[in-house]
Amino acid sequence: MCKFCSKHGANGKWYLNAKNYLKKEGEHFEQVRDYMEGLWGNMERLYLAKSGGARVSKALELALSPVVGDEVRKIFDEHIEKDVYQNPDPRVAEGHFGQVIPLEEAKMITMDLSDVNIKAMCHCKYNHRGIKQATCLGFTAVAEMLPKLPRYLPENGIEILDADKVESFLENMNQKGMVHTVWAGPIPYIASICSCDHPNCIGLRMRLDFGVKAVLKGEYIAVVDPNRCIGCTKCASRCQFGALHFSSVLNRPMIDVKKCFGCGLCKESCEDNAITLIDREEIPVTRGSY
Amino acid sequence: MPRKRDPIKVDYDKCTSPEDCKICLNMCQPVVLILTFTDKDYHDPKDWKIVPAFPSLCIKCNLCVDKCPNNAISVAVQ
Repeated sequence: MCKFCSKHGANGKWYLNAKNYLKKEGEHFEQVRDYMEGLWGNMERLYLAKSGGARVSKALELALSPVVGDEVRKIFDEHIEKDVYQNPDPRVAEGHFGQVIPLEEAKMITMDLSDVNIKAMCHCKYNHRGIKQATCLGFTAVAEMLPKLPRYLPENGIEILDADKVESFLENMNQKGMVHTVWAGPIPYIASICSCDHPNCIGLRMRLDFGVKAVLKGEYIAVVDPNRCIGCTKCASRCQFGALHFSSVLNRPMIDVKKCFGCGLCKESCEDNAITLIDREEIPVTRGSY
Repeated sequence: MPRKRDPIKVDYDKCTSPEDCKICLNMCQPVVLILTFTDKDYHDPKDWKIVPAFPSLCIKCNLCVDKCPNNAISVAVQ
């Protein structure tokens, strides 16, 4: 389990703990709603925001440098870890991190744990590509503050999704090859489930291009059963993390456990159930690496 | 020529309506250019600009320079 699970998970995963889903009458509701407004309102400007005198984009590039890189990443980690009691600054996304989750857990969260699910425009895709797509699902605090930020409203306005619609929405995103991620805002409250795509996602870009842990790896690892695989290559185009490579010599995919984020996209594409997700802690190499 | 420190430059006198065009955003494979608001007021469309946020990721393919209808972008070769 990741470090946030041991702190906020109540002996389970932090995103499956019902306590972390904010209710309207909850203790921190107003604080979290205002935080979310500040966060989403300034999201496209995040790279240009200044924190401690340095621009986030410059600091990210510094994270690649061999000498000061470790220190810069440490500063980012401290920013990301701030919880609701430490008054995180939403303009530089303090207390906001994501974790990769497989489709089943995304369904579990939206159908069983969150009160409200509403569709919202993705700020990352607009920020990086100028494309407006409603690929995010916001929960209670997001639903309350979204009318104040009209640029995030989908074409049909605010739409509260029922269980059927949420399920088909998530399956549609999975089919398109988007990685499901669950986002805290601020820690420990859970704000949204996003459908991410590298490099058009601020979180995945920070993680994969600059090594800053804005997105944690999932709790799972994908493994291939060579006896079941028929070599259809459907999984070959699904991995966004460079972990799955289809070997034409062996006629089956090879998965690098050190690179695997456990999103389960390859598993969903497999019609012969040859790919399964196992717990990250079961493999000694990946134990504790998130 | 742009200096080595800022290898990618956007001329904001020529790039006037980035929210309607967005061609360079679609072209850039490593996503060096981003669309962002530069001041606090995100409701003002004039405030939204194309900014070269990550020049270190640039692969110098010059697609953005070639495809820009207003010739607003320049990339230093070094």
